[in-house]
Amino acid sequence: MRVATALLLFALWLALSATLSPGHLVLGALLSGLIAWVNPVMKPQRRLSLLAALAYQPWLLGRILKSGLHVSRLILTPSLPIAPRLVRQRTGLSSDGELVALGNSITLTPGTVSIDVCPGEVLVHVIDEASADDLVSGRLERRIRGVFNTPEGPR
Amino acid sequence: MNWLTVALIVLGLFFLVVGSIGMLRLPDVFTRSHALSLTDSLGGLFVLGGLAVHHGFSASFFKILLVLGLVYLLNPVVAHATIRAAYRAGLRPGKGEQDDL
Amino acid sequence: MSTFFFYVMVIITAVMLVYLYRVVRGPTVFDRVLGLNGISTKAIILIVLIGTLFERVDMFVDISTGYAILNLVGALAITKFLEQRGETSGEERS
Repeated sequence: MRVATALLLFALWLALSATLSPGHLVLGALLSGLIAWVNPVMKPQRRLSLLAALAYQPWLLGRILKSGLHVSRLILTPSLPIAPRLVRQRTGLSSDGELVALGNSITLTPGTVSIDVCPGEVLVHVIDEASADDLVSGRLERRIRGVFNTPEGPR
Repeated sequence: MNWLTVALIVLGLFFLVVGSIGMLRLPDVFTRSHALSLTDSLGGLFVLGGLAVHHGFSASFFKILLVLGLVYLLNPVVAHATIRAAYRAGLRPGKGEQDDL
Repeated sequence: MSTFFFYVMVIITAVMLVYLYRVVRGPTVFDRVLGLNGISTKAIILIVLIGTLFERVDMFVDISTGYAILNLVGALAITKFLEQRGETSGEERS
């Protein structure tokens, strides 16, 4: 886990410094190793599924594009046919990482904003019924379950 | 490569302009946040993606992707914090603009 | 190409003016925070565009990264403050 943290920090260093001179490389390697060694390990309870995490990003981008087109059609219609309401949705997700992924994905998607996120329940504001579809049908939650390898819990 | 850049940036500008129209037209703070997430996630994605394509495969490409990742990570946090503060302060959606509680 | 980028910058600045209207006019204080957040996102895009125009993207991307993080900290501080101030005065007369 520390090795993974160090590699991630080193990749960030490479992207930020944008040079390949040996002095920079040695300094970056030393610093990222030191930071990963000093800081406490944040260990997730289960192993993340890397494949599902990689497949999740393009899927989320596709959903964002689709609901973005939907919301821009709503905005550009002269009569403004919005039907905003609050949705209280029960989820089986409870750990911090899962909740962060869920809340972030909900807020990132146009048409849905998470108001309150706590273990077992999210409160979401939706702009109309069609935008809430992904959330209410549990499709988003099933994807996040796949990424975090969470077993099917009580709903 | 040139035409791809122009197409991506024009598409991003479309979403930016639509989001600003939504900011003007939508009735309350909750629905306005939807317009904001429209411009943040789609407009930012397409304009920054077009600029990254313009620079080609170089160090600038990865740096622009870094900014894009940062925008994707940080903007939902700010939107969520704002909306939660509005909700806890007693604003409720669906009533239009409220001037007095 | 640089003329195209110049016009893109003009359009983004006009979009920022719309958000500025929301900041000045907005009926509640949360509308203002939301508008500020929108302006800062546009400023990030604008800084990267300026870097492309000046051919110094390496430097300007660092500036926009710092701007994004600064905006996050500022907005979180403002919203925390408003949340703690509570229900009595979350509303502001326009």
